[in-house]
Order: sequence, then structure tokens, then C-alpha cells
Amino acid sequence: MGDLLEIISSRKSIRRFTTKPVPEAMIYKVLEAARWAPTGENYQPWRFIVVRNQETRNKIGDLAKVGSGSRMTAWYCLGHMQERFMKIEDPVKRAEVLRFMYSGEVSEFAKTAPVVIAIMGSLKVGSVDVPYDLSAAIENMLLEAHSLGLGGCWVHGPVASSRDAKKFKQILNVPTGMNEYKVIAYIAIGWALEARKHPRPKLPLHELVYWEEYGKTSQRKLTLEEIVSWEQFGEEGK
Amino acid sequence: MDKIAYYNDLLARHEELLFHELSDCCGWKTEFIGIDFIQSRAIQGSSRDEIIEACMREIAAAGLVKEIAYAVAGQDVLLRLKVKGCMHLGKEIRLRERGIKVYNCIIVNMIHDQLIEKLGYETAYTAEIDVHEEEGWCEIKSAIFENMDKIGCVSDWAEECRRIDDENSWISVQA
Repeated sequence: MGDLLEIISSRKSIRRFTTKPVPEAMIYKVLEAARWAPTGENYQPWRFIVVRNQETRNKIGDLAKVGSGSRMTAWYCLGHMQERFMKIEDPVKRAEVLRFMYSGEVSEFAKTAPVVIAIMGSLKVGSVDVPYDLSAAIENMLLEAHSLGLGGCWVHGPVASSRDAKKFKQILNVPTGMNEYKVIAYIAIGWALEARKHPRPKLPLHELVYWEEYGKTSQRKLTLEEIVSWEQFGEEGK
Repeated sequence: MDKIAYYNDLLARHEELLFHELSDCCGWKTEFIGIDFIQSRAIQGSSRDEIIEACMREIAAAGLVKEIAYAVAGQDVLLRLKVKGCMHLGKEIRLRERGIKVYNCIIVNMIHDQLIEKLGYETAYTAEIDVHEEEGWCEIKSAIFENMDKIGCVSDWAEECRRIDDENSWISVQA
């Protein structure tokens, strides 16, 4: 058996896709991976809607654009976004990245992803575990997609606010009552247009792990500010 | 018994719980809180300002606040509110005591709802809530988007707020 860690650690979020269709057999494999995710008391509350229709994906893309763009417009106006992207030294590039974010374009890619899979949980079947079960299923799907050579991205933005979650359900004809289904995210999958680079740097284990009890560590931990600006650091230690 | 304090304590516990579940994004989930009241009133108006002012009059007349003022700036995206004597101030104070950033202004939820329901606004987002508990008032900055084209219309809100104050372009309603 191969080491799964190689697949896990080489996956990165892909938001740009070619127009090449994804074979149905691959979509089924991705869904099959979800089916085997851990689930509390084996409730299996997850339900999936596979969307390939362009018009529907456009609606989802617009909803995502508005969801992300509205929040990021406000954050930019308050100065928060500029602080976050100070790590981009070239001011022209920084301005373009910021515009890409606050315009909401960053989240529009459901329009160009050949396959969008909405992930929702039945609140009648599941229990306290619903969001966690669904998250485990999503991770399985992304790893399976990556192992098949596909790119994918986990998107929560368009279902983040209560009003947007309702709109998302309406697009897909999901019952909108808050007592029935919780739509937690969708994933966009397809063939990556962008060259696969190594995933963004991750914090080293010693920053994340305590042994035996909280706070027990032999190394100095980063401050919150250092963690937030982690990717500004040099290659050393990444 | 102070029934308002009692209900605010209950609300604060609920909001504390939601914060624990969702941390800094919990405010995205609370936008419907307060809409039942405002939807029960016959808010009428054909423009943004008419809707906002109609909401403010109903909110003040019902005794939910003692005074409320608003200004719109920043390419019509920034909605700035000052709310004095809000009956929910006790909730915000409880949250701050527990180290939780205040995230759910019931008053602005009502105004957002009516802009969306009555005028078809695309969306709205509560961006910042400053609680001045000793003076008994809050300032809220929210982003209101009349349509999709307004997404990405940015400005410097600090500068916009200075201009609102310098020009005293507040419009207020008292109970």
C-alpha cells in the first residue's frame, strides 16, 4: 500500500480549470470516496448534488462572487485586506490581487469548473456530527480527485450567510427550511489549468503540537501575529 | 425583575455559544435575528433613505432604541449608524465581559432586511460594531449593495466617516 501522506501533502486548492470534461467514472470515484468517510454512529447524513449544467453553475458562481465580494469590499474599506496582503511587495501586483479579492472574482470559479458538487447534511438523519461528517466527506473527495489527477477546491463562501445559504438551496431546489438540510459547502473539480505548485507553506509540527497537556512544549511558540504573517517568512523553517 | 436584562442575558448566552461554534464568522449567520419585528410593521418607501428612515421610526417608536441616526457614504456602500439607548446594549456588554467581539446588531439586521425585501438590494454585510457602553451607544458600519455592480466599489471608510462627521450629514430619529 502506498503512503497516503504523499497524496495528502501534494494536494492544493485549484480554482482554474480547462474545459475538458471530467469522465463520469471519475465523478463516481470521488463520490465513492465521500461515502467511506467517518460518520458518527454511522448516520451518513451527507447528500450530494452533482451539477454540470452551465446555467446552474453560473448562478452558483454569481452567488459566490456576491458573498465573498460583499465581505471583502467591506474589509478593504476598513483597511483589513491591505494589511493582510502587505506581503506582496510589488504595489501593482498587490493592487491587482486586492481587486481580484474584493470584486468577488476570487470565488466565481464555479462558472468555469466542469463539475460542482454541493454537499449538504440531513438534519433529520444526522446528529451533532453533521458538519464534521460532511467535512470528512469533503476531504475524502478532494483527496480522491487529486489522486485521479484532477484539481479541486472546497468553497464555503456562498453558503456562509443565512440568506445566501437559502439562495443556494433555492438554486438547487433543496428544501429551504432550517430544520431539514444544512448546506455546508460545494467543491469544484476539473482538470487544472494552472501548473501544480507545491502547496502553500504550512506551520511546522512543533508549532501545532503539545505533548500530554496544553502548553507543554520545548520550543518557543510563534505569536499570533507571527502565525498570521507566516507566509512572509523566508524559506527557512517552512 | 428587569425583564430586558433577563432576555439580554439569554441572548448573550446564545451568541456566546454561536461564537464558540463559528468564531469570527458567526455574524454571518445571525442576519435574520430581528427581522420578525420589522417585517410585522408596514415599512414603506421607494428609496433607500425612505426605507431606512421608516425602519428607524418604527424601531424608535417601539422603544427598542432611544435615538438612532444614519449616514450613507462611500459610493452608497457604507451605511453608518449610531444607536443610543438600545434595549440590546446589555447583551453586547455581557459579550464583551466574556472577551467576545460583538457581532450581531439586531437593529442593523432589521434595516438590511427591509432594503433587501422592499428595494431588492443584492446583499448587505455588517462590518464593524463599536460599543461605547459607558455612554450607552453603539456605532455600526455596514456595507449595503444595491446591485451586483456595487460589489467591489471601495473607498476609505475612515476618510468617509471623517467627512460625515465634519459635514454633520447625520439624519436622526428619536423615540
